[in-house]
Amino acid sequence: MTRINLVNSRVQFLRLPGFVLRLSIFAIITLIVANGFAEPLPPASQRFADSDVTETPDFQKHVVPLLGRLGCNGRSCHGSFQGRGDLRLSLFGYDFQMDHNSLTAKSPSEQTLRLLVKQPDESLVLQKPLMQVEHEGGERFAVDSWQHRLLRRWIESGAAGVDEPQQLDRLEVEPAEVVFDDSASPVSLRVVAVWGNDQREDVTPLCRFRTNDDSVASVDADGLIMSAGSGDTHVIVFYDNGVASVPVLRPYRSVPASSPKTVSTADVSPQSPIDGFVIKKLGKLSITPSAVCSDSEFLRRVSIDLTGTLPEPREVEGFLADTNLNKRDHKIDELLQRPAYAAWWANKLCDFTGCNPSQQAELGQETSVQWYMWVYERIRENVAYDDIVRRIILAKGRDEGQSYDDYSAEVSSYFREQSPTDFAQRTTMPHYWTRRSMQKPDAAAQAFAHNFLGIRLQCAECHKHPFAPWTQDDFREFSRFFETVKFGVEPQSIERYRELASQVGLSVRDNNGAAVNNDVFKQVQRGRMVPWRELYISSRNEPTTLSLLRSGKVTLQQNDDPRKPIMKWMDEPSNPWFAQAFVNRVWASYFNVGIVDPPDDLNPANPPSNPALLEWLVDEFVQHDFDMKWLHRQIVSSDTYQRSWVPNNTNREDRRNFSRAVPRRLPAEVVYDGVKQAVAASDKADDVRSDLSRRAIGHLSMRLAGTYAMQVFGKPDRAVNCDCERVNQPTLLQAIFLQNDPLVDQRLEDSGWLAQIDGQIAAGTAPTGESLVKEAWLRTLSRVPQPDELARGVKCLAEAESATQGLRDLLWALINTKEFVLIR
Amino acid sequence: MRISRRHMLQAGVLGTSLSLSNFLRLQAEEGKPDSGRSAILVFLGGGPAHQDTFDLKPKAPSEYRGLFSPIQTAVPGVEICEHMPRLAKRADQYALIRGITHSLADHGLGTRYVMTGNLPTPVVDYPMFGSIVSHEYPSKQDLPSFVSIDRPVEGPGYLGAEYGPLSTGEKPRFGQPFRVRGITLDDGLTVQKYNLRRRLRDDIDTAFKGYESLDDAVRGLNRFSEQAYQIISSTRSRNAFDLSLETDREVDRFGRHEFGQSAMLATRLIEAGVRFVTVLLEGWDTHQDNFNTLGRELLPSFDQSLSAMLDRLGERGLLESTSILVTGEFGRTPKINGNAGRDHWSRAMCALLAGGAVRPGQVIGSTNDKAEGPVGTGFSPDDLAATFLQNIGVDPKKEFAANVGRPITVIRNGSPIPGALS
Repeated sequence: MTRINLVNSRVQFLRLPGFVLRLSIFAIITLIVANGFAEPLPPASQRFADSDVTETPDFQKHVVPLLGRLGCNGRSCHGSFQGRGDLRLSLFGYDFQMDHNSLTAKSPSEQTLRLLVKQPDESLVLQKPLMQVEHEGGERFAVDSWQHRLLRRWIESGAAGVDEPQQLDRLEVEPAEVVFDDSASPVSLRVVAVWGNDQREDVTPLCRFRTNDDSVASVDADGLIMSAGSGDTHVIVFYDNGVASVPVLRPYRSVPASSPKTVSTADVSPQSPIDGFVIKKLGKLSITPSAVCSDSEFLRRVSIDLTGTLPEPREVEGFLADTNLNKRDHKIDELLQRPAYAAWWANKLCDFTGCNPSQQAELGQETSVQWYMWVYERIRENVAYDDIVRRIILAKGRDEGQSYDDYSAEVSSYFREQSPTDFAQRTTMPHYWTRRSMQKPDAAAQAFAHNFLGIRLQCAECHKHPFAPWTQDDFREFSRFFETVKFGVEPQSIERYRELASQVGLSVRDNNGAAVNNDVFKQVQRGRMVPWRELYISSRNEPTTLSLLRSGKVTLQQNDDPRKPIMKWMDEPSNPWFAQAFVNRVWASYFNVGIVDPPDDLNPANPPSNPALLEWLVDEFVQHDFDMKWLHRQIVSSDTYQRSWVPNNTNREDRRNFSRAVPRRLPAEVVYDGVKQAVAASDKADDVRSDLSRRAIGHLSMRLAGTYAMQVFGKPDRAVNCDCERVNQPTLLQAIFLQNDPLVDQRLEDSGWLAQIDGQIAAGTAPTGESLVKEAWLRTLSRVPQPDELARGVKCLAEAESATQGLRDLLWALINTKEFVLIR
Repeated sequence: MRISRRHMLQAGVLGTSLSLSNFLRLQAEEGKPDSGRSAILVFLGGGPAHQDTFDLKPKAPSEYRGLFSPIQTAVPGVEICEHMPRLAKRADQYALIRGITHSLADHGLGTRYVMTGNLPTPVVDYPMFGSIVSHEYPSKQDLPSFVSIDRPVEGPGYLGAEYGPLSTGEKPRFGQPFRVRGITLDDGLTVQKYNLRRRLRDDIDTAFKGYESLDDAVRGLNRFSEQAYQIISSTRSRNAFDLSLETDREVDRFGRHEFGQSAMLATRLIEAGVRFVTVLLEGWDTHQDNFNTLGRELLPSFDQSLSAMLDRLGERGLLESTSILVTGEFGRTPKINGNAGRDHWSRAMCALLAGGAVRPGQVIGSTNDKAEGPVGTGFSPDDLAATFLQNIGVDPKKEFAANVGRPITVIRNGSPIPGALS
């Protein structure tokens, strides 16, 4: 029997002001007297320590957790798929029925029952871990230890299993937070399990513990936390179905100040609520954030992050010269108005939703470009995020009331050469569902959860998720929602479909329709109406009630659209993932890490580094009706976003709490476009930047997918459900590419700018060496060169065969600097 | 997110809380023993007809058996297609695996399955063999460890972009200068010029001066920039890719055709120290005119080039340290179609293994009388992958800390084919 429950697994620790505390102690005593409300049961290590113990251990509460604690049901031993030594247990004990069956069964290799109620000491279940018989896993406990006594007691009392699993309400962990001081003495955790019937038990010796970063803190099997270094992380506690997390922090020691300028926390006045939350957390770690970055750093950084585009030289000069105190905020507003903003963020939303030409049902390139353009238009219109999602999730092929013929005519008109209909004007975007990778319900369930909820359900396909509450039942039920989302030909339309198909020579094998082949497509391009498959909702045989990822039950009538209740649930303010996943992913786009990292793995064992910050941001985003521009503006106008990358004497080691900007590599598309931009002729420069149909962040995004340059710089194929598919780290091939790839060589050789200068030299109107060098810096690094850099550049031009050739070498050198390829 | 130093080490991931210098230090401490093996993967793109190459059925009805006859090889009882006489003479140097079977008769999916040894799924991006090897056994500093001639066949998957191949960008063609994307210094660009540009770059690349050790991104860029420089400017790399240094005799031994020149380059790269080379030989998707295409074009060149590769590696004492796998993504339909061709058929295919610990001079596995499917359960692409990796010295049951939050076994469902390796 598998577990059915557990939702709430937060860390709890009551802190009450003095008089309330006294009052409640009185109340508690009264309650104890009146209701038998007990202090938590002492730990099993005490209760089962004596030889004359009479208590019967509970299979769910004691035996199975003990097996977890001892490591018996872990991945590398009996919890693995093949089991070990012919004993298989459920991974970390998620399946009581299976475990009980295994333990009470006969061992095929030893030809005896694994446990003998009448002769407990002869049981393999004891002999093996005691090493009284050969056991690959070694000795797991000593004779007469409490673990031994507990298991022995369980066997001799009848080795009962579990009829009806109890509901674990929550785990209470003390302390709720660990802050190491200079002495860094180890801290013990105490864990109390609170059950649905208000029973409480100290389960510390039955828990599993793990640290999320052993360079900051380690935790031993007994829950003793030891500091390993400065910084912060979480220790995770596992018991039964519960997962609790304990923040563990150790403030950084200040390195003796070598520079006179150190900003103390007191001096830093928060600019925005974001800054307030960040600085509060930094205070706990004795970290002072770095100062805010320079204007040129800001302009380059925000242009790339908001619009995927390097700022152009005149813009840089203008911004640097601007004396307006609010110029940064104005620049942000201006950038949000640019089409490139919509293009870049359409690209990112295509990352998040999985727009991939090779997975499309047919006409991969065309349909993925349609998908991209549709999202682009919605962002241009600043449609709210939840609305965009709704129009994707609830999409159908046809509009309400549209006939099959009209539908086919409309789709045909998207592809005709003469004045095609604009797909982007559709209300809904059906291509999300029609992909080949979404045709099986469980594949659709995994993708959906990953794309819109930021959770990884896939573990639960085969066993219970090891550290989130998802069971196989949860996964199965969720998948069943998608059973009726179909792409093909509706039964009522199949006759008409076949009729139209035969008219255009499209051969159809079965009643699911067929992809439009080349010959038919040519007719479409000439304006012919051909039949198309469509996205529709089929009927269920009978009403079905399904659990929606533990949020409650949903009853679907035969003809209901199963996606509607899911969207409704996602829109509720109480939904824990929908808004959070997006907000966190957006945050992660602006920094080296998300507040939850990785951003597509929201689960209780992966807590946010700053829960207050995330919660505020999510609440406000929802309050502001999912306005994406609001979110972007909020983040990039904060001091936190605008911090310099230069560390001070307190924050060198911090890469998690946003105390400084950690340099990030340019995304693939920006490198590609950036090189093009750097070499473009002055009169073409504007076009090159703003003509989105020729930019990697724009329409070319789909066509360039999978090309060498994009692969090398890590543009994701979106073939798997993982944010990690986009690679942001430097690699050897990238270095080789920028140094010596024919594509880069060609751009330098054919540079419009250099040709322009050649022309000017011939006409005798060439600019000075200094102004050329300055322009080269502005084009690539978005700043003015320092005096020594200027001198070096001028020297390069003077020593070369020609100024143009020297400039070519200089451009090569500039795009091969770290500064070019990093956002700092 | 769980980050233990050990996992980071295995994943080789930068940009995490584990600093690069710590990573490199830990890597040194790990002291991974190097198997000393290199590998060549010859991928016959398109799906070669197994019954017209290595698994002939002369007794099958004419519409199945096709136009080719088998010939005796140097190994008694083993016969292969008559159009591969040279390989027949060398049958004592390789092992044939027949009766490999799967159900993905689509080029993309089939290739991914065979090249990664794991059933493709949208959940995990499995790495292909070369990425695994380049992750485990990096090459010398001034040579890329993993090269593909010309396009990559599948990618590094969850291991990360760092472990993708250097793709040559084009196939070497006899009589034409061969440019390797990124390695060859193009027209007009000499090593001197390249050095000059680099010195200029070093002079102006000062933004992070004093903070090189601060962040992984900065360190990574320095490290790879240096390595790129060594590869581009060093003679070792340039010579390894410079086919003009080969004698005419060698060129003719391999053959002046595309297959021959690619095979020659692959052999040359192994000799230089590259750890894994994939050679993409295309054209095997013979839906029509199967027998002319095979008999006149593909098989003669294939026969010549693979034989030359085996000979040369043997002569230079490298066969023992080089694991070779020759295969396609699936086989072809037993019944010949209306265009004198055969279509996709994944239920039966075959592969050739040589070098390393392969027990040569044998056939393992078999198919039924019409080459429709294996006799018995046959072998899966997982098994083939496990065999190949084992032969390179990589444990197929090894676990990587993949970037998806859990450890992943390299080849979860396959085991080395019994009897293939000693």
